[in-house]
Amino acid sequence: MSDELIQIETPFAFNEENQREFNALIGRYPVKEAAMLPTLHLAQRQAGYITPAVMKYVAEQLEVSVMKVKDVVTFYPMFFEEPVGEYVIRICHTLPCALRDCKIVLDHLKAKLDTDVASETNLAKGTTADGKFTLMKVECLASCDVAPVIMVNDDLHKNLTPEKVDEIIDNL
Amino acid sequence: MIEERRILYEHLDVPDINTFDVFRQYDGYTRFEKAITEYQPDDIAKMVMDSGLKGRGGAGFSTGLKWSFVPRDIKPCYLCCNADESEPGTFSNRYVLEKNPHLLIEGILICCYAMGIETTYVYIRGEFTLGKQMLDAAIKEAYEQGYLGKDIRGTGLNIDIYSHPGAGAYICGEETGLIESLEGKRGQPRNKPPFPAVEGVFGKPTVVQNVETLCNLPFIVGNGVEWYTQMGPTYADTRSDPPTPDPNTGTKLYCISGDVNEPGVYELDLGLTCSELIEVAGGLRGEEVKAVIPGGSSAPILTHYELDTRLDFTSLTLAKSMLGSGGIIVMNETRNIVDCLLNIMKFYAHESCGQCTPCRWGTPWVRDIVQRIADGNGRKSTMTRPKFGVAENGRWGDTGETEDIYEDLDLLESVANNIANVDTMTWNTICVFGIAVSWPAVSYMRKFRPEFEAAIREGKLVTLPVAEATVPPEENYAYQQRFVPKEFADL
Repeated sequence: MSDELIQIETPFAFNEENQREFNALIGRYPVKEAAMLPTLHLAQRQAGYITPAVMKYVAEQLEVSVMKVKDVVTFYPMFFEEPVGEYVIRICHTLPCALRDCKIVLDHLKAKLDTDVASETNLAKGTTADGKFTLMKVECLASCDVAPVIMVNDDLHKNLTPEKVDEIIDNL
Repeated sequence: MIEERRILYEHLDVPDINTFDVFRQYDGYTRFEKAITEYQPDDIAKMVMDSGLKGRGGAGFSTGLKWSFVPRDIKPCYLCCNADESEPGTFSNRYVLEKNPHLLIEGILICCYAMGIETTYVYIRGEFTLGKQMLDAAIKEAYEQGYLGKDIRGTGLNIDIYSHPGAGAYICGEETGLIESLEGKRGQPRNKPPFPAVEGVFGKPTVVQNVETLCNLPFIVGNGVEWYTQMGPTYADTRSDPPTPDPNTGTKLYCISGDVNEPGVYELDLGLTCSELIEVAGGLRGEEVKAVIPGGSSAPILTHYELDTRLDFTSLTLAKSMLGSGGIIVMNETRNIVDCLLNIMKFYAHESCGQCTPCRWGTPWVRDIVQRIADGNGRKSTMTRPKFGVAENGRWGDTGETEDIYEDLDLLESVANNIANVDTMTWNTICVFGIAVSWPAVSYMRKFRPEFEAAIREGKLVTLPVAEATVPPEENYAYQQRFVPKEFADL
């Protein structure tokens, strides 16, 4: 990643509250690098997604190379390198949910939001034109007893039917 | 009808059990107090060893034995609590974290006291936002009440617990992957040895335990070893002479999902059979059981011939499957096994961490083969070959008949077995993810071969009736010998 690329981004820094939380995080580990995942979660919550500027800032804070941060960001599916919608809808499609007809829910969501499903390398594909929703398939959400399930940002919704999906989406 | 025996889950539905005050009313932290006042750390370690507690995370390794590998003279030593519950079909830890986090904290405290540990990291799944909130709140309360922090209850013990969020990678549930991830790196598992017990997180000795394992500790300390060992069967390990006891003690949080009427978590003594568990879970949704996955999606599948298999560590290992994390997925007669395998293989192809070549390339290859079969483009040769099976003399060999060559099925088995060989139990990868891929791939294919053959022959997915779809155990050389363990007391 060249410096040029980093410069065209708006620079990033933690706001006061996140800075406080970050300072508390650092004290938990014998090495700063270990705070990588919680720090990236914090940064993503503030910036919306992990831009090169965010990676540079996190690298400086944790005293590691930018490449190491990039290395981690690309490994974990919960970190986004592209903009996502205001609401990220994660739908589980692993076997227990598939046995409980998650496909009906998925098709309904696709039709309702008029969008495709995002892939890890192309989040824009699953983002609605107004930038409000991003629809993505994820692997098991550990709620197989109440399948099918979706997660809308941090909230889990259980035992879904197309009617329930309508209600959830309309209330957002 | 088998009754639930709720121990870990006993107070789960008590309102506000997640708060310190209510938890305290239900004997909360008294077991920890008993531990620190009545026992020395080594006594606790011995109790855990004697209780026969086996790790509930998947491998089923004896917890007491694991603790005995930790060198006592190297400090600091760490405890990592594995709350990265990602195995498809498993969801018991989520409820502990969301509803009764103080129980986990008490378990952690007992483990820390026994092992002389001062710092614990709870590696909690990134998607468990509510669970993390609840746990963090409970940790905060425990600090305020003087059960965490410096000089706990005036005993001079210093114990800290920190929650650490993951970020959606299945492989971080593997203990060395978890350690790498905790250190702020990609969650790629390490070569073993050195085992984490000797060299784990930050290069120090580390105990890695599942949430459920730790939650068992307060009850072992509180009610005693004798009470604990009454639950569940103790088998005879006949590999040694004279046979040694092989305990499968305690209760298990069985997570049952799929085609049953009342899916959910049921806490039962180890050792009940598959069909009994289906009964407990409200019975089958459908006419007939086609297949049961006994221990999360990695476990080899069981057919309707094997429903009398007892769901415990030893019995399932001898049935060439595993209890794993206790996630039982039931499929009825309407399910197509090729389709189910495709779903699972998509999961593994997505979750392979990419460190070892056989797994990185092998998992998408297996997925593509199954996809091809499901799409109706499976490959079949125009030639035939001699059929092997149980010959006239009753032994394995050339039967004198011929069979069709299904190239894609041979290829599927070959690719899967080159990631990890299910017959010799050797894997060409660093971690056991390899075997978690080839176990389902090979077992589904061998046990439900007619359905795979039909899909290739007909050029589309064909769901056969249960009896036709399943290969009987006596015709399937890999599974023809079924071992059922004997109880130790019966010898």
